[in-house]
Amino acid sequence: MNLGTRKLLDRSFTALGIGSIVIMGMMLLVVLVPIVFNGVTANVFRGTVEHRKLLYNEFRRGDKAELQREIVESDAVRSKAYAMLDQFEVEMSSMDEAKQAEYQDKYRQVKESLKALLGPRPGGDIPELTRYKYGQTRWSKAEEKLHELLYEKQWDYSNPDAEAKEYFVSRSAGFQGTSLVKLFPYVEENLDRMLLPEWTIYWGFITDSSIDSHIFGGIWPEIQGTIFLAIGAMLFAFPLGVIAAVYFTEYAREGFFNSLLRSANSTLAGVPSIVFGLFGLAFFINTLKVSESKSVLAGSLTLAIMILPTIIRSAEEAILAVPKTYREASLGLGSTKWNTIVTVILPAALPGILTGGVISLGRAAGETAPIIFTAAVSVGSAIGLADVFNSPTPALSWNIYNLASEHEAASEIRHVQYGMVLALVTIVLLLNMSAIILRARISKKLKG
Amino acid sequence: MNEEGNATAGRSSAFVVSARKRKLQKITKSAGESLLFLVAAIVAIIVLFIFYFVARDAIPFFQIRGFSEFFTSSEWYPADDPPRFGALAIIYGSLMVTAGSALIAVPMGIIAAICLSDVLPFSMRQYVKPVIEMLAAIPSVAFGFFALVILAPLLQSFGGPILMWTWWLIATPFLLLAVIVSSELLVMSISDDVRRQQVQRILASAFGIVAILLLFFVGRGLQKIEILTGTNALNVSIILSFMALPTIVSVSEDALQAVGRDMREGSYALGATRAETIIKIILPAASSGILAAVILGIMRALGETMVVWMASGNSSHIPDPWFNYLESVRTLTATIAGDMGEADQVTGSARFHVLFAMGLLLLVISFISNFISERIVVRQRKILSGQ
Repeated sequence: MNLGTRKLLDRSFTALGIGSIVIMGMMLLVVLVPIVFNGVTANVFRGTVEHRKLLYNEFRRGDKAELQREIVESDAVRSKAYAMLDQFEVEMSSMDEAKQAEYQDKYRQVKESLKALLGPRPGGDIPELTRYKYGQTRWSKAEEKLHELLYEKQWDYSNPDAEAKEYFVSRSAGFQGTSLVKLFPYVEENLDRMLLPEWTIYWGFITDSSIDSHIFGGIWPEIQGTIFLAIGAMLFAFPLGVIAAVYFTEYAREGFFNSLLRSANSTLAGVPSIVFGLFGLAFFINTLKVSESKSVLAGSLTLAIMILPTIIRSAEEAILAVPKTYREASLGLGSTKWNTIVTVILPAALPGILTGGVISLGRAAGETAPIIFTAAVSVGSAIGLADVFNSPTPALSWNIYNLASEHEAASEIRHVQYGMVLALVTIVLLLNMSAIILRARISKKLKG
Repeated sequence: MNEEGNATAGRSSAFVVSARKRKLQKITKSAGESLLFLVAAIVAIIVLFIFYFVARDAIPFFQIRGFSEFFTSSEWYPADDPPRFGALAIIYGSLMVTAGSALIAVPMGIIAAICLSDVLPFSMRQYVKPVIEMLAAIPSVAFGFFALVILAPLLQSFGGPILMWTWWLIATPFLLLAVIVSSELLVMSISDDVRRQQVQRILASAFGIVAILLLFFVGRGLQKIEILTGTNALNVSIILSFMALPTIVSVSEDALQAVGRDMREGSYALGATRAETIIKIILPAASSGILAAVILGIMRALGETMVVWMASGNSSHIPDPWFNYLESVRTLTATIAGDMGEADQVTGSARFHVLFAMGLLLLVISFISNFISERIVVRQRKILSGQ
């Protein structure tokens, strides 16, 4: 091979390496950017008058007089649309049977769409479920619903080989020649006057409980559950892990027993997270019966076992990184080994130990599989501190799964799901970043 | 009272400690040490407990149903009457997504690790490492959400074009390189300079045409593929590979760093380029450590629950043909997570215990691979320190 080709190969090898690192960075961006972008819309969005109605009725928040004024204003515009419906109903009753049957179904769809858009008609029955009591609270959703009102979705099955394609048919064409035709352009033009959208920052998304299984309201119970579980896990795992690390670094003698313990540690680190869940169910709940059924306590214990190896390893590394001179100086002054460990080595290693602890805290907050069988419920209110021993809690990680895959209106509440993912990712990444910064400062300090 | 007396005695003559006090000190010391040992031993006890309690609930399943059905049948109807517990398709699904993610993550991870340890200047490394750490820190459920809500619809509606562009982007540079290098290698034996260059030009253009045809027709073939469901093995493999990457990168980077500077310098001194040094000297020396990294990364993918549960489609059948990554699959972890909700009510039934049998299978696999990777690391350390 001549020199030119060898150089070419060398350069392409370098390019390959940099390329794969760039791909990893891109992946991080590709995952994070949509989560951040869509997650923010859970807090900041164009809220309609329905949103303000909801806030006042459910949480007693907002200015009552201002709200009354807005309701009157929007009702004035809405009443014209309702008048058109009434007019068409009168018109329909005077038609012959065949025509009535033709319009009946179409008219029902129009009425349903309008109800989904604006909420139940004033003066009618008040629906049981909160989700039907209000119209669209978010302007972006309202625009989607408006499209549903104006156009009917149909499927094209004409090509038997390919998948069916969807296409849209204007609803107003179906009512040609009747008085209802006027409704569609009227609603389309006056929707903003009916819903009065304005930019809203809804901090309640973080601090409110959910209403009607996350259709409305916020995610505070989930955030609180995540915090409880993660801190509970740390309470068990952190002291144990640090003591074990002290033993491994200061007292353990090389030998069969010690290597066995080390193997046990790395085995524990490699156990799949779902197996921790099974173990938590079989041991903490079914055997020890720490609680009747799922509880925060059982979940915390399970998570604690999961993060224990990480804490031990990082604490060991931090203790080993303490310069030998510290130890020698302390021993030289006549203090005992235990005294040296407690007063000299542990304080010096503390930032490093904390770094590992913070990373483990993030891991405990983000993990889902161990808490599925031990602590998590789908819907629930925030629990008090006294209930942690016997009641389960909703948690961010579990509810993201639950809302995205099992909720009956999963595609309607994407903004809530994104908001939850953003909250979880923010908690975990903030913890990790503070660990990274902490570590950078330690390494600077150790370098002197 | 007596204690106080001892203490004053100790203080008055600083270096003379009474026999009694020395004994007391010894006792406290050994008691403290054994207490520390007990705490450290908790880890081992936990591991034993995990094996015991998972096995305790797994064994009844094999007592009720025997071994053969679980491992050889792919009929998974646990809720039917009579129920059927064939887990072959589920085990196969686990292996399939793990293999798929390994195919992406292993080459990428090793190359990224090489780049981190040998190619990038130190100042750049500071910025790359946090990226890898953040990739490792993102919760699995967030990845699962991404796979389900963003990647799956994309694959479903633009699957063909995505595959085509991926093929073009990846294959073009490699084929270009292959054309140049192979034409170079084939003409090496010709001694006449002018003639060699002529032959090389002809060969390069011939190979180039073949490469372009290959690029074009494979790309067209890929473009025609219609992906029926976005929640499939391919989607999961891609996401899992990015979850396994941080492990592979950081562990193999450690292995590469462990290879001493002297080896690198020796190779450079003999006139080797950086790529040659890495491929012929450093990689073989670090190979066992890299193998350990690969095993750990693969275990991460095999044990992952949320991504596969949310985005694999959860259909328990062996894809047809067996390598069809565009079909939905179901994995062991997702089955445990998904079925426990219903099986929980009937503790003691085969339906409950079969999930523990799956957990035991996962546990045993992870234990064995962990053991192997640990042995490998220990051996490498011995070899490298021996040199």
